[in-house]
Amino acid sequence: MLSFFNVTKQYSKVTAVDRLSFSIQKGEIFALLGPNGAGKTTSVRMIMQIIEPDSGEIRFDTAMVAGKSVDRRRLGYLPEERGLYQETPIIKTLVYLAALRGKDAVWSRKQAISWLERFGLKERMNDKVSALSKGNQQKVQFISSILHEPDFVVLDEPFSGFDPINQEFISDCIRELRDSGMTILLSAHQMQLVERIADRILLINDGRELVSGTLEAIRQKTISGQKIVVKYNGDVNHEQLDETPGISGYKMIDEAEWEIYLGEGFVLNGILNGLALAGKITDLKTAETTLHEIFIQSFKNGRNNNEK
Amino acid sequence: MKNELKVVWEVTKWEFNRFFKWMDLIKGVLFFSLFGLIGGVIGYWLASDTFTAPDIAVANYGSFDPSLFEHNELQFIDHAATHPDSLNQQLTEGKISGILTIYSLDDASIRVPSERAWVIILEQFLNELRRDVKISESGIDPEWISSLQAGIGLSREFEKGGESTTADKIVAGIAIFLVLMAVFMGFAYQFTAITAEKQQRITEQVISAIRPQAWIDGKILGITGIGMIYILFYGALGIAGTLILMQFGIPVGSALAQINPIFLITFILIVLLGTLMWNSFYAAIAATIDDPNTSQKTGWMTMPIYPVMLAFFVLINPDSIPITILGIIPFTSYAVLPARMVMTYVAWWEPLLAILLLMITVHLFRIAAARIFSTAIMMVGKEPTFKEMFYWFRRV
Repeated sequence: MLSFFNVTKQYSKVTAVDRLSFSIQKGEIFALLGPNGAGKTTSVRMIMQIIEPDSGEIRFDTAMVAGKSVDRRRLGYLPEERGLYQETPIIKTLVYLAALRGKDAVWSRKQAISWLERFGLKERMNDKVSALSKGNQQKVQFISSILHEPDFVVLDEPFSGFDPINQEFISDCIRELRDSGMTILLSAHQMQLVERIADRILLINDGRELVSGTLEAIRQKTISGQKIVVKYNGDVNHEQLDETPGISGYKMIDEAEWEIYLGEGFVLNGILNGLALAGKITDLKTAETTLHEIFIQSFKNGRNNNEK
Repeated sequence: MKNELKVVWEVTKWEFNRFFKWMDLIKGVLFFSLFGLIGGVIGYWLASDTFTAPDIAVANYGSFDPSLFEHNELQFIDHAATHPDSLNQQLTEGKISGILTIYSLDDASIRVPSERAWVIILEQFLNELRRDVKISESGIDPEWISSLQAGIGLSREFEKGGESTTADKIVAGIAIFLVLMAVFMGFAYQFTAITAEKQQRITEQVISAIRPQAWIDGKILGITGIGMIYILFYGALGIAGTLILMQFGIPVGSALAQINPIFLITFILIVLLGTLMWNSFYAAIAATIDDPNTSQKTGWMTMPIYPVMLAFFVLINPDSIPITILGIIPFTSYAVLPARMVMTYVAWWEPLLAILLLMITVHLFRIAAARIFSTAIMMVGKEPTFKEMFYWFRRV
């Protein structure tokens, strides 16, 4: 669907995107993650033709191209910086934004009403946007990005401003859109949601790739995929944990519960003795690392590599 | 291309409907009509009060002949024999309008409850009486005095066109006013439209959907459309008003006679192109403004007023070389040329050249505006420098 090849974008003194390459397959949810200032928004804006790369190439499927550039009617975009015409009725705003993407007014109106009904806003379709709460404005904005049934949509922070129930609802909608054949580029900070819906993930920092692939593949690449949750009764000798070969890191959840990360190339047997020497174990189980932990660990690894 | 035009049309409709409301236009006309009506009624009432012949009690005629005290707007009542106290009483009770006492040819007084407009008429009347008495006393022939006061009968012959009448000047003034209205309406709406879009963060979504050139073209056309509707509406209202006044016998027909079809078409074309040009300019400047409350660039938006100010010089001398040149060059022609066309003879090639130059300028301005717009519209928290803007403009 899209290939981003060796792309660089420099602002006066900052290299926002630095020789970044990745590709997005048709019909997948591709998550672009990174800390603030990592280069996500610049990458997204280049994909959306808002700004041009200094070097490199962004190539869409030939079916998406009209003339010399991508057919903008086949793209959808939910920018991180939200905004709608505040003094215009909701339905008019949606029909206008769909018209800009080449959709007929009658068709757009029908589709918009259907989506508004799904989001519980049908009764308010003639209200001005300014009359809606922030959360409901977010819903209208989300609808505007996918109303015209684009082939490829970029959703930048689609969950922000929503309560947990609506976050779940939005993530269900995103999955449904993917199942209907839409390709989705997702950028979000809600790791537990991204973890559940993304097919593939790209972590970037300072405009460069840190790690990419499926969640499972990333787990393998970052923290060996193994985490052990240990419960102790009484004091824990954390110096013993430091000295035990095979333990790459640990975190105290509370006084009794600790998360222990297994170093790359080590197996559980090799650290059991060290864990037992650190305190009186009452419970021990293995667990999978979360995306949040991968995210944090990747940046630590990235920073360490940079320092080296 | 077809898709691009469709998008431009969508934006044009959106921008037009965003700001143009028929009800607001009608309400505005009704509001002004109501105030006009109230003003007219008050004026008529005051006028009728002024010209109701006041009853002026003459307490003393001085050295004037009482038989001369006749005037169609003033009613003189001989009260030379009435006691002053009684006259004052009558004045207090409103039975008479004033008490006139003449002491000599050079000295008189009028006693009134308060300031009255007819006192000016009375003063003129007394001055004329005094002059006649003085002439009579001096033995000079009154006809000789009249001849002395009459000016030379200087008739005007023009090589080009005819004499500019008051009607011409009124039509020229109205034309300039309508142009001013269209341009400043563009200023208000374009400024609001673009700065609000920037502040409401709508820009990024729209600019990902359509090319900046399509967006700017639609904006320019939509907002120019509003200005044109206002010009046509108020122009038609003016013609209707003139026709109504003619029905009442008021001689305003000569003003209407100035509006011939060639003038009308040229006027509409030039104003349309001029408004398009300035709306492109406004769009480019508005896109560079981050916060309208603090931006130094807001002052640039007043630039189109200067050509309109120059247009008023046409009323003084429409044939001067500077005014003829200003009627052709694009930045001023939209205001100066229509005024010249009303005031004097304009060669056929002048409007043609002015229109051609305006068309070229509009084309260049819209491209420059889109370039500036596409870069500046995404700048939030920072405004581009003039150097940057000039660089983008040069790229055109």
